[in-house]
Amino acid sequence: MSFGKLIERLAQLIPVLLGVSVIVFFMMALTPGDPVEIMIGDSNVTLEQEARLRSDLGLDRPPVERFFVFLKNAVSGDFGLSFYHRRPVSEVIAERLPATIELSLVALLLALFTSVPLGVLAAVWKNTFLDRLATVGSLFGVSLPGFWFGILLLMLFSVRLHILPVSGRIGYEFEVAPITHLLLIDTLLQGRFDAFANALKHIIMPAVVLGLPMAAILTRVTRTSMLEVLSQDYIIFAEAKGLSRRRILVRHALKNALIPTVTVAALQTGSLLGGNMIVETVFGWPGLGRLVVESIFLRNYPLVQAAVLLYAVTYVTLNFLADILYTVLNPRVRL
Amino acid sequence: MRKRLISLMAAAAISVPVAVQAGELRIGYTTDALTLDPHNHRNRTTQTIIRNMYDGLVTRDSNMKVVPQLAEYLKVIDKTTYEVKLQAGATFHDGSPITAEDVKYTFERLTKDGAIGGKTSPRKSLVGPVKRVDVIDARTARIILETPWPQFPAFLTLHEIVSKKFTEAQGADGLSTKVMGSGPFKLVEWRKGDLIIMERYDGYYGGSPALPPQAKACSERVIFKIIPENASRVAALLAGDVDLINDLPAHAISQVKNNPNTDVVTVNGTRSYFIAMNSETGPFADKRVRQAVSHAIDRQLIIDRIMNGNGTLIDGILSPDAFGKNKNLPRLAYDPAKAKSLMAVAGYPNGIEVVLDVKSELKEIAEAIGSLLTKAGIRTQVQVGEVSQLRKKWRTKGKPKTGDLWITSWGNGTLDPVGIFVPTHRTDDRGNSAGYANAEFDALLDAAGIEPDTAKRAALYQKAEAMATNDAPYAYLWVTKDLYGVSRRLTGFRPSSDGRINLHDACVK
Repeated sequence: MSFGKLIERLAQLIPVLLGVSVIVFFMMALTPGDPVEIMIGDSNVTLEQEARLRSDLGLDRPPVERFFVFLKNAVSGDFGLSFYHRRPVSEVIAERLPATIELSLVALLLALFTSVPLGVLAAVWKNTFLDRLATVGSLFGVSLPGFWFGILLLMLFSVRLHILPVSGRIGYEFEVAPITHLLLIDTLLQGRFDAFANALKHIIMPAVVLGLPMAAILTRVTRTSMLEVLSQDYIIFAEAKGLSRRRILVRHALKNALIPTVTVAALQTGSLLGGNMIVETVFGWPGLGRLVVESIFLRNYPLVQAAVLLYAVTYVTLNFLADILYTVLNPRVRL
Repeated sequence: MRKRLISLMAAAAISVPVAVQAGELRIGYTTDALTLDPHNHRNRTTQTIIRNMYDGLVTRDSNMKVVPQLAEYLKVIDKTTYEVKLQAGATFHDGSPITAEDVKYTFERLTKDGAIGGKTSPRKSLVGPVKRVDVIDARTARIILETPWPQFPAFLTLHEIVSKKFTEAQGADGLSTKVMGSGPFKLVEWRKGDLIIMERYDGYYGGSPALPPQAKACSERVIFKIIPENASRVAALLAGDVDLINDLPAHAISQVKNNPNTDVVTVNGTRSYFIAMNSETGPFADKRVRQAVSHAIDRQLIIDRIMNGNGTLIDGILSPDAFGKNKNLPRLAYDPAKAKSLMAVAGYPNGIEVVLDVKSELKEIAEAIGSLLTKAGIRTQVQVGEVSQLRKKWRTKGKPKTGDLWITSWGNGTLDPVGIFVPTHRTDDRGNSAGYANAEFDALLDAAGIEPDTAKRAALYQKAEAMATNDAPYAYLWVTKDLYGVSRRLTGFRPSSDGRINLHDACVK
């Protein structure tokens, strides 16, 4: 991709983010529910005290004015103070983000490493027992509600078998000095294998629940596109040439068959962020998803706005990366 | 590369595992603290966590009576002056004594505009009309109020004393993550959203003289594990991952009781549930129709069948544990025939059609109430709405209302009537969802609000509660019990009506 095209793609980000800002700001502002009312709760507060709190939070100004203040500050990276934490939103989000990134990455890896081989094998051994197993398995994977499946795993592996912990990221007895803030990596970098094993035990259930729907979808996509590729003339030609089966599959078929898989994987990675909210709540995972859910209920406007913008940037970036990957996988594709 | 290696080794050296100790107590708790600054939040669950590291001048005993904590005594000098003397030997976690200067500083931080890094404490309105604090000597201070405010001691239970020296040294945001309290536990580590680890403060002065034993805490280490999802919190208790959980859902009671290692403990909460009836317009403007609603509902049946017995019936708004509770209120008992005859007398022999608003969590209860009302001729359609939306519809602060009925509630953490009576019953006040307006009643509340004599004040509230029950702006339902799941090895934990989790005496044997 040329440098000019890259700039062009990056420039496209601006209207997208502006649009997202407008939508998220006004959706929050128009949603019934007043942060001041929620904060005061059931206490006996005079109208004057209520008004002071409102002006402290900057909510006494009209939404349009608030939006332009938000936009002006956001451009310089200032997303304001969280109403409840009373600290800069960027700081609160930064504390929670690594846990979410770690969980998403592990879920993504789990999904890719199970779905691609499974999809390929199901296509190669079409209509065999393995193919049917993959089809039924992916049907389950797509339809199991993460919430219910998560609780089921908890009841089995934590309550019955006592082999996996119910919640959290790592046992409280382990203190890990942060390097990348991703515990699985930090523990390895420091040679702390006991802590690594403990962190792995904590992440396995949430990652499985989060990665399962994605694995299911990717298995089906890989299987379908592999089947399509395998029926192409050039594959038949390669077979006629006497190339080994393995060489045909890996060198000729898989590379082309992966293009739709990459597209769907990129889109699905974006949706991992959404799924995180449920999984993080069920497994007490201290990530951003849970924070956003809590903030929506509390009408913590600044935090929700910043988090949604972050989601949007991530989503757009992932799509952009997927586009670049196309050109690697298939040089005929030009952006 | 070498530098990188050295820094990695250094990091490895400081990241030694903290040994799991005996005397550990792990709590599965619904929500994380928003901040550790006791003055920069307005959140009950945050305070529950913080209060194990910070003590206040006063606290409550198990009967919810206000008793001294850091204070040796709290004396009323006159209507607007309270004198407090600090216990000898009370220290902050660095061993420095707590002085009257710290008390003065605490109140200034709570009440002065812009005192916390340019922002005003969101707890200011919970402090009352404090004008200033005079330091008498190192251990004695006088708190001067602008106007008489007899509920001051009750509200004083909500505030913790901070160290002036430490807070000034840390700057405006310092206390949000660092703790220099005077409570039984000190902070070890806060992993945000995940855990709060505390350890026993061995120099603890012993706490309230009214709450024996006056000694350091029983547990050596306390860990709050944040588990927001109900089912997961219950799973953590059943799996033995935690020793105590808050907010046990009623449907999990039998599961927890049937497990050989766990049990359930309950306490009357401070939240009163009631049905607001739109007394401004429509059929509910007629008192007889409102009374018919109360007679149509079998509250005890709902408590027993739907709430698994975890509620206490109320005939007025106040909790049975509240100050000034009228114990002789007439009961509008379940009597569908009487409900029907009241409706007929009011001019509705063929009944009426109404909508009952409710939030989703109370849907099951609303449906039961709806069917009981329908049987009595008040044909009810249950309509589930989002809390914020319902609040906007009903808590109109004097503007006209559009609904018929709303099942709602009001919490009263201080158990002082002023915290629930004024907002829900005073004309046009914040939580007056029924639109109740009675000048005589308002005058009673106003008089009680400034009456310094405790007995007279209680009598005024009793009269007011009787008046409200007679006017029936609300159908008063119940006070719910707070449910905790506990390990059977846990000793010394007594749940508290105000929702506090006081871990001073709690221990896992």
